[in-house]
Amino acid sequence: MKSFLTNPILILLVRVTLGAIFVISSLDKIADPAAFTVSILNYKVVGQLLATMTATILPALELLCGLGLILGLYPRTSALIIILMLIVFTVLIISALLRGLDISCGCFSQDPNVNKIGFIKILENVGMIILGIWLLCVHNYGITLTQFFPQKKTKPVD
Amino acid sequence: MKIHRRSILEALLIITAAIVLGFAYTFVTKQGFFSSEDTAISAVNTNMEMISLEKAKELHESHDALFIDSRHDYEYKMGHIHGSINITLNEIDTNSIMLEDIPKEKALIIYCDGAECNSSIELALKLIELKFINVKIFFGGWQEWKTHNYPVDY
Repeated sequence: MKSFLTNPILILLVRVTLGAIFVISSLDKIADPAAFTVSILNYKVVGQLLATMTATILPALELLCGLGLILGLYPRTSALIIILMLIVFTVLIISALLRGLDISCGCFSQDPNVNKIGFIKILENVGMIILGIWLLCVHNYGITLTQFFPQKKTKPVD
Repeated sequence: MKIHRRSILEALLIITAAIVLGFAYTFVTKQGFFSSEDTAISAVNTNMEMISLEKAKELHESHDALFIDSRHDYEYKMGHIHGSINITLNEIDTNSIMLEDIPKEKALIIYCDGAECNSSIELALKLIELKFINVKIFFGGWQEWKTHNYPVDY
């Protein structure tokens, strides 16, 4: 089981899959920040200023973390940020459902009629959180950009 | 400890890069913070009237207004306000022929699922762009109408 979970090819596959999901989900938000602002406002948690600020920064953060995982540029930290984002998204979806809001999640498309929040969306997020935790626990990420960076030499232990 | 410090520094680097990238992109494309208007604000700027359930009912009974359902066609087929027609955001971009028979001064009442959806606002803005001068939004939408047992079609 342990060798299965640390299989470098499988880890690369998980890295690229999770990274691609975040890159793809960022594109629609980057293309239309105004629509994404409306999606955030629909959750009725933050005001206009914070919603606009989130719509400015969050898509870029998703894009960078997604690319980080795919290219292997700070993969562990990218996975950690992705997990934190997913936890926040999930809490927001649960909160919206408990308040009886019938809104689209604003995750992949800003079309207000698609991707309605619900139990499936929570399951999707939990699945991605598990994948993220898996990436956080492994030590060998296979081919990464970071390994081409100059490393500080450590003194050999006597 | 060293690893934790390195992770924090990497996280700060990624977040800073995201902030710089996000603001630079919206500045260059004049969107978000640097946009002169957004969807919600433009709805106010165009003097689009938001009508209540009572007003919507009154207009429905008078037969003076055309009700337009902006939800997806499968939602429309599952139930809609009696006499309403279905025009989605995608359809209005690709097929404006259906609007040719509607006089520009006709009162149009746009609705979607309820107060939490915004396709009605976006559709109304498109209709105003197409020179319709009497566009109103029924914010309570399908949910409020259905809850009050007002006339519906299936």
